Amino acid sequence: MIRVALLVAAKDLRIELRSRVLLWQVVPFGVMALLLSGLALGPDHAGNSSAGPGLFYLVTLFVALLMINRSQAIEGTPGTKASIATLGLDPAGVFLGKSLALAVELWVTGLVLLGGAVLVLHTALHGALVALPSILVTLGAMSAAGTLYGAITAGGDGSATLLPVLTLPAFAPLLIAGERSFSSALHGGALWEWWVILAVALAAYLAVGILLYGVLEES
Amino acid sequence: MMKQLSQRLLGPVTLVLLALTFWLGLWITPPDKIQGNLVRLLYVHPAVAWVALYVSFGTATIASALYLWKRTRSFVVDRIAYCAMEVSVVFIGLTLITGSIWGRPTWGVWWAWDARLTSTAILGVLALGYLALRRANDDPALRARRSAVFAILSAINVPIIHFSVQWWKTLHQGATVFTSTRTLLVHGSMAWTLLISFLGFTLLFFWLLRARYRLEVQRETMTSATLDEALASRRSEGAF
Amino acid sequence: MGYVAAGYAFAFGGLALYALSIWWRGRRGHG
Repeated sequence: MIRVALLVAAKDLRIELRSRVLLWQVVPFGVMALLLSGLALGPDHAGNSSAGPGLFYLVTLFVALLMINRSQAIEGTPGTKASIATLGLDPAGVFLGKSLALAVELWVTGLVLLGGAVLVLHTALHGALVALPSILVTLGAMSAAGTLYGAITAGGDGSATLLPVLTLPAFAPLLIAGERSFSSALHGGALWEWWVILAVALAAYLAVGILLYGVLEES
Repeated sequence: MMKQLSQRLLGPVTLVLLALTFWLGLWITPPDKIQGNLVRLLYVHPAVAWVALYVSFGTATIASALYLWKRTRSFVVDRIAYCAMEVSVVFIGLTLITGSIWGRPTWGVWWAWDARLTSTAILGVLALGYLALRRANDDPALRARRSAVFAILSAINVPIIHFSVQWWKTLHQGATVFTSTRTLLVHGSMAWTLLISFLGFTLLFFWLLRARYRLEVQRETMTSATLDEALASRRSEGAF
Repeated sequence: MGYVAAGYAFAFGGLALYALSIWWRGRRGHG
């Protein structure tokens, strides 16, 4: 299972490196969304750093939706689905691999957006670095969840609009836990409860993915 | 024979219990010392919320799990899950409306980011998402599989969402006007009415589920019948 | 009492409407 996961992750990341969609499309979108979030606060509050964590996660959430779509679209390209079927790859491994690849991509984008938040939303750099572990775990949970919801909505022309409505409620507790732990890193406050939420969510998505991804990929 | 009897009694018993709830709730039970007449919503909102979250959504979840388990996989449980989820949307919507109505005179606003109402609202979007997912797939087996996995994920998310919203709400403020627990001393006629309301709305769920299920079977029969007709007429035209 | 009436109206009325919708969809033959 792990071997398959690493194979699939490497494949997805290689495709990403070659196409550079992340670099040229997703990251600029994220940066623009971050700018918009500052603008949305209005001129009096745009520099108010307390909104930083929440806006960072809100933007990351929407960026993740785009990337989930892309992660599933890769599977649809001619040749990919056929090769996976003929190789008889363990679906749990495929799930872990795709989640890992998505996580790596989200981490890279997340780091850029974090830098953006520090710069334009005046989030404290030191606090942002302290929050880094919680940010990486939150994005990891989002990747596992996203891979599952991506598989549920794969194919058909409705998937771009269907994916968000299915995924955003699942992202809600991740947004809450992520934002609260980020804020705690900045201003102090309760921390362990949010780690519990993140740990439980991550464990749940990994478990469901390992057990049920095969069901989704049945033909 | 017992099964047939209980099937036929479901409707009438439901109506009797609901009528009792209505009458006891609005007239017979006394007003509360603190909340006054507002307490009468106690006989409506908690029961509707209970059905929405546990009975209705729970049925949809269990049916979905049964579909995913190969030994019990069948379109019967898939249909049950779908119908139960549709009924859930109705009950969740009413939970939010009655909760909001109760909240307005209590909190002064229609929406105070009460932890339970907020979690319920998210649950409502999940249930709507399930219905949207059903409409997005035509192939019955694919649709059933995807819906079932989504339902399981949603069920797992319910406690996660609940705790995260509750901790979000309470970790800062502590006990304030916005605490969602309305502690009431429920005794005497109030307790009986509360029990009757829970029973009544629960039975109502099963009655609605049965009705909706029959509708769904009828719908599927008609769809396949229309398809057969269309194929037959195409064949007679020599299209095949 | 207005709030109570509204609450009861929405709850009982809403569920009655839903029951009616099931019956009506059956008659229309569409579901």
